[in-house]
Amino acid sequence: MSRSPQQGTPASSRLSTPGRRQFLQIAAAGGAAVVLSAAPGTAWAAPAAGRTRSYVLVVDGCRPDEITPALTPRLAALRDAGTNFPAARSLPVMETIPNHVMMMTGVRPDRSGVPANSIFDRTDGVVRNLDRPTDLHFPTLLERLQELGLTTGSVLSKKYLYGIFGARASYRWEPQPVLPVTGHAPDAATMDALLAMVNGPDPDFVFTNLGDIDRVGHSDLSGTTLRAAREAALAETDLQVGRFIDHLKNAGKWDSSVVVVLADHSMDWSIPSNLISINLILQSRPELQSNITIAQNGGADLLYWTGPEPDRMAGLAAVEQLVRAHEGVLSVNKPADLRLGDEAGDLVAYCRAGWRFSDPYVASNPIPGNHGHPATEPIPFFVSGGSPLVVKGSVSSKAARTVDVAPTVGSIYGLKAPAGGYDGTGRVSALTKPRN
Amino acid sequence: MAGAMVSGTAASGFSASHGGVFCHGVASGDPMADSVLLWTRVTPAPAALPGTGLGPDVSVGWEIAADAGFKKIVARGTAATGAARDHTVKVIAGRLAAATNYWYRFTLGQSVSPAGRTRTAPAAGAVVDRLKFGVVSCANWQAGYFSSYRHLAARGDLDAVLHLGDYLYEYGPGEYQARDVVVRPHEPAHEMTQLEHYRRRHAQYKTDPDLQALHAAAPFIVTWDDHESANDAWKGGAENHTEGAEGAWSERVAAAQKAYTEWMPVRYEPGGQLYRRLDFGSLASLSMLDLRSYRDQQAANGADPSISSPARTITGAAQMDWLLGNLKSTGPQWKLVGNPVMIAPVRVPSTLNTAELAGVQKLMGGTSISGVPYNVDQWDGYEADRNRVVRHLRDNAVKDTVFLTGDIHSGWACDIPADPASYPATGDSVAAELVCTSVTSDNLDDILNVPPRTGSVGVENAIKAANPHVKYLDFDSHGYSVLDVTAAGVRMDWYVLAERTSANSGSTLSTSFNVQANSGKVTPTQGGLQ
Repeated sequence: MSRSPQQGTPASSRLSTPGRRQFLQIAAAGGAAVVLSAAPGTAWAAPAAGRTRSYVLVVDGCRPDEITPALTPRLAALRDAGTNFPAARSLPVMETIPNHVMMMTGVRPDRSGVPANSIFDRTDGVVRNLDRPTDLHFPTLLERLQELGLTTGSVLSKKYLYGIFGARASYRWEPQPVLPVTGHAPDAATMDALLAMVNGPDPDFVFTNLGDIDRVGHSDLSGTTLRAAREAALAETDLQVGRFIDHLKNAGKWDSSVVVVLADHSMDWSIPSNLISINLILQSRPELQSNITIAQNGGADLLYWTGPEPDRMAGLAAVEQLVRAHEGVLSVNKPADLRLGDEAGDLVAYCRAGWRFSDPYVASNPIPGNHGHPATEPIPFFVSGGSPLVVKGSVSSKAARTVDVAPTVGSIYGLKAPAGGYDGTGRVSALTKPRN
Repeated sequence: MAGAMVSGTAASGFSASHGGVFCHGVASGDPMADSVLLWTRVTPAPAALPGTGLGPDVSVGWEIAADAGFKKIVARGTAATGAARDHTVKVIAGRLAAATNYWYRFTLGQSVSPAGRTRTAPAAGAVVDRLKFGVVSCANWQAGYFSSYRHLAARGDLDAVLHLGDYLYEYGPGEYQARDVVVRPHEPAHEMTQLEHYRRRHAQYKTDPDLQALHAAAPFIVTWDDHESANDAWKGGAENHTEGAEGAWSERVAAAQKAYTEWMPVRYEPGGQLYRRLDFGSLASLSMLDLRSYRDQQAANGADPSISSPARTITGAAQMDWLLGNLKSTGPQWKLVGNPVMIAPVRVPSTLNTAELAGVQKLMGGTSISGVPYNVDQWDGYEADRNRVVRHLRDNAVKDTVFLTGDIHSGWACDIPADPASYPATGDSVAAELVCTSVTSDNLDDILNVPPRTGSVGVENAIKAANPHVKYLDFDSHGYSVLDVTAAGVRMDWYVLAERTSANSGSTLSTSFNVQANSGKVTPTQGGLQ
């Protein structure tokens, strides 16, 4: 699956314009080709010199303690060379889509409309992923920076991320090849695409998701003791990050680059017996079971009342009581208390560390590696790069969060806060001269 | 610097034989961002000796300045005291600037106290590059001299001193000293059981020049353990208390607590809560525990099944809720816990010989049955409460919690396993524990009556082998610790005394362990002055 790390990317390319979108095919490492798309009228030539490039690299599902000099030497060196935020946290629900959305919008789900990976769509009457561009109701950095005359790119390894961010960036890469089980492109392919994008249109800002660590974490069937496969994924992702850094340096772009590295959530492993099925819990109360729809998000279950409106309050109270009584349940929360918005339904149940939800059926979630619950909040978060803007060798006790990415990156370019302001905080202590 | 302050500005007292009006020194404590508690004790007349209940009511002046020369006075006032509170004085100096050094002193008539230096805490949410705390416990007057306090006072770089309990001991001469030698006899010359006794004992300790120097050099943040009242105290009694013969426990502990609040620089009054939290900007919070006032009686030994009973508590329900509320992911990065007794599980190894087992049993006051918790006076004897804490930290992924512990007359650095059974394979740890050794109180080589670093070494190795989360253990040394807190990590340096029975003992850095941010684990590191 993985490819040998290579320096740089061949620059040969072919422009085509099938339909309304523009496509650029760039030869990538190992003889493969990377296809990028762009909005109509977007120039393919790189902007002028003398600017600051910024990159957000999401090492999906990585725990902060997994970045070590021994296992991930390039990431560890990058972290130590910049400003590290060891107290950083993911935000509810600690899933991939909502936290990527928070990174790019700077606002919480009650303003963006994206509280979880999986929700019950009351309009369509189905449980589905939030993977449609129309699911996201708030402007992102990807288009807001364009309003300043800058260009942006998205290189997202997961199909559903590509789906929700859609055509917001100036330049996009549609993940391929997508592995059939995981629904993501391997990091080597994703990095090929990132290098091609940097080597070709060279946007001012690129948002990248590297999905291997998360996907291997999910499918690691060895439980809590033997995590060899995950460690291999960590090492591989580290190699890919190294390729990126080397590419920037070899291309003479390192000194103008700010690199933000973080995870969207971390990972927690459960043993097979530590499984919670709320549907099963409600089996003894058919009148409740039939009126609750569950959107399972690994370590969090979103519960939607679908029964008669007059029965809602009493029904939800009874459901809450039953769910709370399960030994594996950590808490049952009102979505508003977690700033999740109406899309999150009526109740959000979190599991304890070492547990997972499996709904609607006991067999629905067989994978031991999960996130979504508070045990998976800690994330790596550091600002590094060769740009003189980066504060070098610093550690901050501030609790950075995924929602802080947009105001932090925005500050590099003097981007004003969106209407209503940011919910995140610009981590400007990591930058020497933020512009706002 | 600190020593000069102690001896510097005192005016002549009423009587040389009593050391002057301010012969018990000055102190500060519980620093907050805008205030600090100031303390002294006055002897306004020759008869107004501690514990006597004699002497007039007086008004004591106080002032606090931004400079050591008292040219920039920022606040001043007066405080009334008298025999009802043993002529001790406690005032809150408020409206101070955060993270700032201040100097303070008291006046009574023409007498001026020594000056003390204190420091306020950083403001809530403020960026703090570094904090340094002295960490001490278990200072038995009869077992030696308080050289540890002198060395800490001389550093001049401490934000505060954390005293984790056993600030003084209840025993009379011959009951508990340096092995068999009473280096300095206690006053009164018998076990303290009544208010007069507790007051006189506090007063005796406060005459120690090294203790006075440290109090004058930095604010103290204190909690009590058992010996402030009686050995192995619990809410209804103590091992070293005979109900009836020594009065009612309720009266005895009330006397101990009254004397404590009078004589210690702490924001506590009888009837209130000693457990409290102090914050230091965005870098650290410090939750000081009271593990004596609410706990159930200790189990008979580690094999007693009641140690795991959820009906028994070491914290009490309210303090547990408060503690768990402090251990959260929002707020200051480091969650420091001033913890009077060890929380890391420690099991008795099966490889000790009879003498070693007896020594461990005497030091820990516990059982010698291999494989069971060796000290049921610690959190080991209240497993349900410990499980609540561990589970809370794990379920909520609360990082950067460090328990700072005393009590056990030995130095330890431990991981706190998420699950002791699987820890050897996973290494998963939810927090760290750093235990300072005793200032003077006997430890294992003293009990075994062998030279330091001889007979204890095998015991240490056996305990570490049986408890792989214990990374450092020194059963022999006396001394003090210095805690260095940054966003990157928390490091404890253990300093050991050359000879506790020498008034002028030197100290040397013994070892250092670090808790890297986000790791929850202790690792050996380089330490020392920085």
